[in-house]
Amino acid sequence: MNRAPRSIDEYLKQLREALQGADPALIQDALYDAEEYLRAECASHPDKSEADVLELIASTYGAPEEVATAYRDTEAKVNAALRPVTPRSIESPNPLRRFFGVYSDSRAYLSLFYMLLTLVTGILYFVFVVTGLSLSAGLGVLIIGLPFFLAFIGIARVLALGEGRLLEAITGERMPRRPVHPGPHAGIWARIGDMLKDARTWTTLAYLLLMLPLGIFYFVVAITGISIAGALVAGPFLVLAQHLGWDFNDGVSVMQPAILAAPLIGPFTIVLGVLIFTALMHAARGIGRVQVALARALLVKPGM
Amino acid sequence: MDDSHGRKFQKDLNAGLVALVLLAVLSRSSQDLYGYEIAKRLQKANEGESLFKEGTVYPVLRALSANGLLTSRIVPSYSGPPRRYYRITAEGRAVLGDWSGIWRQTRDFVDRFIEGAEE
Repeated sequence: MNRAPRSIDEYLKQLREALQGADPALIQDALYDAEEYLRAECASHPDKSEADVLELIASTYGAPEEVATAYRDTEAKVNAALRPVTPRSIESPNPLRRFFGVYSDSRAYLSLFYMLLTLVTGILYFVFVVTGLSLSAGLGVLIIGLPFFLAFIGIARVLALGEGRLLEAITGERMPRRPVHPGPHAGIWARIGDMLKDARTWTTLAYLLLMLPLGIFYFVVAITGISIAGALVAGPFLVLAQHLGWDFNDGVSVMQPAILAAPLIGPFTIVLGVLIFTALMHAARGIGRVQVALARALLVKPGM
Repeated sequence: MDDSHGRKFQKDLNAGLVALVLLAVLSRSSQDLYGYEIAKRLQKANEGESLFKEGTVYPVLRALSANGLLTSRIVPSYSGPPRRYYRITAEGRAVLGDWSGIWRQTRDFVDRFIEGAEE
């Protein structure tokens, strides 16, 4: 049992300790909520000192331990209610059902979409970081150099938050919903110093840069898989249509290589196409998971 | 009698009731409210012994918001961190209607037995 907090910073510190081990995003939510309440409470009692207001907090807002328990309980309940029901086929002992069960998992479709999207976001992030860093370096000798750099870091953090929200929408893994809580109030120079010393500032930039090569890789894998699977499945039907007299391409055979036009090979290519696409869906789901782990490591401050 | 029985019973009751009360407060308010305002309204309406700690209101607000029953927006404030203002959604009003019905039914059902027992 901690001693009763005497200041807002002390209360927040105890609340953070009481929530140790909980989801970082949940800790941030709780800290923001508590700070909103405590500062409003102090502002509405201008005649009392911060310590006097805090003395009554345990009976109105609740002691840090109580509040921490409320967050943990509510989060557990909400998660249980909101978590998408895992289709039973995914856990089925039958390997065939497990393999094709991926089609009933919405996360696989979303991850596939994410793989295509990362080419665009990867290019945007990369251009943003390279432009921001080089302009910051170039403008460094001028008076606007520092404000420009700070604005650049600020926007990078917003992008990181947005990327986290996107990943949460796709994989269902909880990511932070707000910027990191700045902690006890300090002067602006101290804050700038903290920001530069904060490893997360630099790992965020690294993540944004890394998204270009990763985005290209994901995009190529997704497009290659979709086109090969699509061609293998559609090919036999095109051959059939040609035999039935449909005229593509002025009568020139559209099937290349010619072996695909052999009549008996059709069913095999369709099966192969479906297998390739199913494997791609599994890969997409795996990549979604890897990406979340990467974002957690580089964008979310450990222990926050 | 030990007070802890009463406190545990109150806590179990609150699990669902706080959400119902919050939906009702927000549906009756003509403007968006933030956590502190809501907590103060509840405190004012409930003179004397507090039924629940105001700190427990916030996680429930977030849960309702995550379920789409409330929407929220963040507004910068002069007195501290930005405030999150909540508003009830159409879905939230529909749920409030349902829950109010369930609450009345439950209350009448419970009362029927308690009044019989106390006579």
